[in-house]
Amino acid sequence: MANTNNAGAEALRRLKEVDPPSLLAPNPTLSETARAASQYLFSSIRPFSQKCPLDQLLVDGYDAEQIWHQIDLQTQPLLSTLRRRVNQFVKNPDEIAQLKVPSSVAKKVEAKNHEEWEQESDDFDEELDEDDDDEDDFEGVEKEEKNGGSDGEEEDDDDDDDEEGSEDEDEDEEGEKEKGKGKDSGIEDKFLKINELNEYLEKEENNYENAEEADDGDEDSEEDDELEKAGEFEMDEDDEDDDEEEDEDDEEEEEGMENARYDDFFVGKKEKSSKRKDQLVEESEDSGDEDDMESNKQVCVCVCVYVCVCMIVKIFILKIKFSYPVFLYSFMQKKRTASTHEKQLEKIQSEIELMEKANVEPKTWSMQGEVTAANRPVDSLLAVNLDFEHNVRPTPVITEEFTASIEEMIQKRIIEGLFNDVQRAPRLPSKAPREVKELDDNKSKKGLAEMYEQEYVQKIDPTSAPLSSKDKLKNEASMLFKRLCLKLDALSHFSFAPKPVIEDMSFQTNVPALAMEEIAPVAVSDAAMLAPEEVFDGKGDVKEEAELTQAERKRRRANKKRKFKADAVKRSEKKARSEKKEDNAIPGQVNG
Amino acid sequence: MIRRTQRLKKEYLYRKSLEGKERVNYENKRKIREALQEGKPIPTELRNVEAQLRREIDLEDENTAVPRTHIDDEYAFAAEKDPKILLTTSRNPTAPLQRFVKELSIVFPNAQRMNRGNQVVSEIIESCRSHDFTDVILVHEHRGVPDGLIVSHLPYGPTAYFGLLNVVTRHEIQDKEAVKTMPEAYPHIILDNFNTKLGERTATILKYLFPVPKPDTKRIITFANKSDYISFRHHIHEKQGGPKSVTLKEIGPRFELRLYQIKLGTVDQAEAQTEWVIRPYMNTTRKRKFLSN
Repeated sequence: MANTNNAGAEALRRLKEVDPPSLLAPNPTLSETARAASQYLFSSIRPFSQKCPLDQLLVDGYDAEQIWHQIDLQTQPLLSTLRRRVNQFVKNPDEIAQLKVPSSVAKKVEAKNHEEWEQESDDFDEELDEDDDDEDDFEGVEKEEKNGGSDGEEEDDDDDDDEEGSEDEDEDEEGEKEKGKGKDSGIEDKFLKINELNEYLEKEENNYENAEEADDGDEDSEEDDELEKAGEFEMDEDDEDDDEEEDEDDEEEEEGMENARYDDFFVGKKEKSSKRKDQLVEESEDSGDEDDMESNKQVCVCVCVYVCVCMIVKIFILKIKFSYPVFLYSFMQKKRTASTHEKQLEKIQSEIELMEKANVEPKTWSMQGEVTAANRPVDSLLAVNLDFEHNVRPTPVITEEFTASIEEMIQKRIIEGLFNDVQRAPRLPSKAPREVKELDDNKSKKGLAEMYEQEYVQKIDPTSAPLSSKDKLKNEASMLFKRLCLKLDALSHFSFAPKPVIEDMSFQTNVPALAMEEIAPVAVSDAAMLAPEEVFDGKGDVKEEAELTQAERKRRRANKKRKFKADAVKRSEKKARSEKKEDNAIPGQVNG
Repeated sequence: MIRRTQRLKKEYLYRKSLEGKERVNYENKRKIREALQEGKPIPTELRNVEAQLRREIDLEDENTAVPRTHIDDEYAFAAEKDPKILLTTSRNPTAPLQRFVKELSIVFPNAQRMNRGNQVVSEIIESCRSHDFTDVILVHEHRGVPDGLIVSHLPYGPTAYFGLLNVVTRHEIQDKEAVKTMPEAYPHIILDNFNTKLGERTATILKYLFPVPKPDTKRIITFANKSDYISFRHHIHEKQGGPKSVTLKEIGPRFELRLYQIKLGTVDQAEAQTEWVIRPYMNTTRKRKFLSN
């Protein structure tokens, strides 16, 4: 137990001595020492944390996050109880006297005794003198206690708190001196009086002594004591920076903001802020170191960053909370100093920024040329007014004026009587006009006898064309037509029955006698042909030359001569006549 | 009967195909006639055919002088016969459409209304031909509002497709009307602003839906064309007072017609030749007017 304790304490001490730059690079040995230190601390606090389910900090093979969570498990309930207790003590300082100090602690306290306490208090006084503001002082005091506590932890929690505290106080004293000297006047305030502080410290002393005398093995008191101390240590070490700062901030806020004055903020504002910064830096460095130490190489950098961020946030928050008026003032100062030109420039700059930003971003869908439904959001066309070129004339709206114009036109047409009605067209004669039989009243030109004659002829010879009372033209036409038909029939077919031949009295045609009775087709038949003797135009018996007798030959020759002579005489006479004419004609021509 | 109709159709088409030649002939004859009248020499290109054409000119009368087109063939007997119209709807008509068709059957004299049922268009046309109808009118709708009118002249005549707009039926104005009944005398027709050839064609199609009226009827039906939209109006006029003042009272439905197609065949002939079809997406459609000038 002691060995482990010693090892843990040794680890803590080593951590403290490490310089911050080396923390930036991941270092396995450092992490090992950090883990050992945290384990040691955890186990030392374990007796005071009743609600914690873990007995030991499990470190081997665990992530930084997991280790943190384990520490959280222990510290969170502890913190709340400690706060409650501190508040109680603040309200009832008498209870402090009832606290019992643990035996080991008591022994050490005995060894040290008053001197150290006084030394401490002196140191405290010195430190307090050095500080500037009440808030600072208070913080400083707290910090002193805490720092003292933390320094003590590094070495040994259970042993020689006071000694360590004194040593640490010395260190802190130096640190305080390094920070800078403040005014004595600024230390005291309504809520911090040095005399009261001294009284409190003396009380504490007495309590410890009493506790030593009264009870040695009172674990509760020990625990309480331990708790008190441990709480301070815990607060310093295991809290996140935010918690610490929040507490400080809260307290400072509570005490400072109630009675905030201009002088509080602006008289020594620069010094104050810088001091605050330094303190914060120191604080954060401490916690930061521890953070780094306890984490893996993976989380090392992250935690560093986180710490820095927290620091910045802290500063920012603090600045806002405590120098919010400062900010306002400076901001207003800036506004007043900007000229109109600068304002214009700013405006233009902002516009330029906007436009550049718009140019860099991808265009909206409506500026992207041809956009199909897939490339634009649903129902986005409803919001956009689109412009179409319509090629169709819009449908006419029937207005009063339109109707009036139409009615005017109608009225005009009615008055004029100009309608576009359908007109009845004259019908084309599709049928021939019927023959109207007119009864002739005139006396008939033919006599009765002639009529009877015609009837008789008709009966006998049905072929004869009766001269009816039709027009002559018609007769002529019918004649022509019959002739034409006959010819056509003759040409067209073989089974032709020839029509009866019409015999005209006036002239004879060369129609054969048997034409009517001929059976053979007209085309082939010889009926139309003339008989040889009808064709023959000659006389008597025709003999060939071979058959002729001598006498007949002579007779023929004589006939021939006679004919020739007669012809010759005729010709000569003709010639003589024509020559005479020519003779008469020629002299005219010769002369001319 | 089928063969007869087919033969008549073929003859009609053949005569239609000869129209081009006939037109040329007619033009030449006209030139020669002019030349003869004015005493000018006959143009040189007609020298060869001059004699023949001259003979034809002498022989022709008023009927043959004018070149006959298929249009005249279509409406050849329209002037002589009174039109007989059949009105039907598209399939499954709504009640408002049925009311509208009933009104139209009163507007057109000699019109009969028929329920569509599930008849095919070709059936309808066949039955109409056999019953000597001259025209068939189909009315289409969209959700109760009439939006289409198809006028088909029957013996292979042209079919005109109209779109109906701004339809106001008599049922809608029934409350305001004092007169609930409508006179059914043959009306006078007014066709206004049909100037182009196409306009004339549409005018004849619409004109021959009506019979020859008596000169003294009070009923007037107007087809007024304004930028290709034909307004149908139905009035009764009264001549009140001496100074030629006419009071009009509007009765009957009113709508705008918009011609979008003319086909040279009946409705059931899907492959009939298109005489004219609207071109709404042509760039210059907006500027042009097809029915007027």
